[in-house]
Amino acid sequence: MHTPMIHIENLNFQYKQGQDFALKDISLDIAKGEFVGIIGSSGAGKTSFTCALNGMIPHHYAGDFYGAVTINGMDTVEVKPVELSRFIGSVFQDVDAQMVATIVEDEILFGLENFQIPHEEIEERIQTALETIGISHLRNRTISTLSGGQKQKVAIAAMIALRPQLLILDEPTGELDPAGSRQIFEMLRILNQQYHMTIVIVEQKIMLLCEYVRRLLVFHEGRIEYDGQTRMVLEHKEELEKLGVNVPRMITLADTLKKRGCHIDTVPVSIAEAKKMVEEVLIHA
Amino acid sequence: MLKFNNVCFSYQQDTLIHDVSFHIQEGEFAALIGENGAGKSTISKLCNGLLKPKTGDVLIQGQNTKTTKSSMLARSVGYLFQNPDRQICQNTIRGEIMFGLSYILKDQALCEKRCDRIIEQFQFRGEQDPFHLSRGERQRVALASILVCEPKLLILDEPTTGLDYRECVQIMELVRELHRAGTTIMMITHDMELVQDYADRVLVLNEGRLIGDGACEEVMTDMALLRRASVLPAQIPMLAMELGTTFHGVYSVNDMAERIHELQQRRA
Repeated sequence: MHTPMIHIENLNFQYKQGQDFALKDISLDIAKGEFVGIIGSSGAGKTSFTCALNGMIPHHYAGDFYGAVTINGMDTVEVKPVELSRFIGSVFQDVDAQMVATIVEDEILFGLENFQIPHEEIEERIQTALETIGISHLRNRTISTLSGGQKQKVAIAAMIALRPQLLILDEPTGELDPAGSRQIFEMLRILNQQYHMTIVIVEQKIMLLCEYVRRLLVFHEGRIEYDGQTRMVLEHKEELEKLGVNVPRMITLADTLKKRGCHIDTVPVSIAEAKKMVEEVLIHA
Repeated sequence: MLKFNNVCFSYQQDTLIHDVSFHIQEGEFAALIGENGAGKSTISKLCNGLLKPKTGDVLIQGQNTKTTKSSMLARSVGYLFQNPDRQICQNTIRGEIMFGLSYILKDQALCEKRCDRIIEQFQFRGEQDPFHLSRGERQRVALASILVCEPKLLILDEPTTGLDYRECVQIMELVRELHRAGTTIMMITHDMELVQDYADRVLVLNEGRLIGDGACEEVMTDMALLRRASVLPAQIPMLAMELGTTFHGVYSVNDMAERIHELQQRRA
């Protein structure tokens, strides 16, 4: 039997000071090797959900925890977060809170040494991580002199040097320009496809997200409102907008064309697909 | 309203801004775009006198920023930081809104009156601590504390970063109202859809040089220019380019739907 990477049963969580449950009735499985995107308006429970995956909830954030979260067969309530961190890499929203070293190289070294990676392996891991993210030139830089975007890349490099089986990212491109954000997604695609890393990512840049992830979860007021194949979820344009979720312009285009009586099979999630959609509409004219 | 005449700027040795010249007329809504490190934030700080040009001049309503005190310039220029927490410094919303205003307006009663009006307009609770609010709400507090000063020129440095879609629309609709009421706007952003929806003029910056300046539609559909600036075009202009010359100049969802409709009719 295949154990799913993530198995969640009836998860409900309320922060100690919280007035309401931050996570409500969440049940889902995420298989090994999936690439899952999470969207939703602020306060919808996205960050709380990622914290429930890496054990920060309930170990770091106290509160009422009901249900069960099992990662790679381990119950997160029973296992300490440090045990989970051996196979889960987390990249937080606030990169400054994550950085521990002053020099880029040391930041990456920190995790490797803590996990007692053999010395002869360390150099290769640092180099590969820096190359994969495209920041080899920053290796000896002082972290405080880096731009926000560069820091985000360092945080991701430090995580992938540990070669986690599950990578959790909470808005990792917040400080990056569009080209830089795309670079991060390209890199995640490689980690997912070539290294079979399971990836769960929270992202506001929905256009980019939809191009890369195969499965999309939409959070609203602590619940998962939609969970499915990216394009299936995007079919619900109007409902998503009601939940405060922006949809890509090509989805709006597909919707407009549909309303004008054009036949649209599936909504496009990339420019190439949108091109195909328009061409087909014109052929059938 | 705002004039850059051959402006150069450097922090130390490296020149960050090279010979930049442009004039923004009163009532314009200009967007400043370019990749990370292109010099956008430096330009915006030159706009309000936080930074002074090494050579060349920046004029705000005819006043040279080199010879005018920043506190004087602050009367006509409002600056919304990317991160509201760099700007909020008081324990109550009311205190925050009064903070800047009381420096530029000595009449206490008038200050209170303006403060009341803006609190009502934004539907804030004046005694609330801004740091207990969400990021989007804090951004609104920061914006309110600028608007209460009634700036002629408003500079927005990535006003929607970190906000969700609903909060983003809320902030931008406020900005749109201000623009309609005559405020000149200069907005820095990476979001080309935001540019498309709100700006009427676009300045393109690359490695500290101004490489493009034109009407929004023109710049947003100039793929070669955007590529040079390492800017990813918005989806619809990009799709139009992929579809070839019959879709030349198509720029919004409606444009695209109209063009498709025309082509369908022609074929039928």
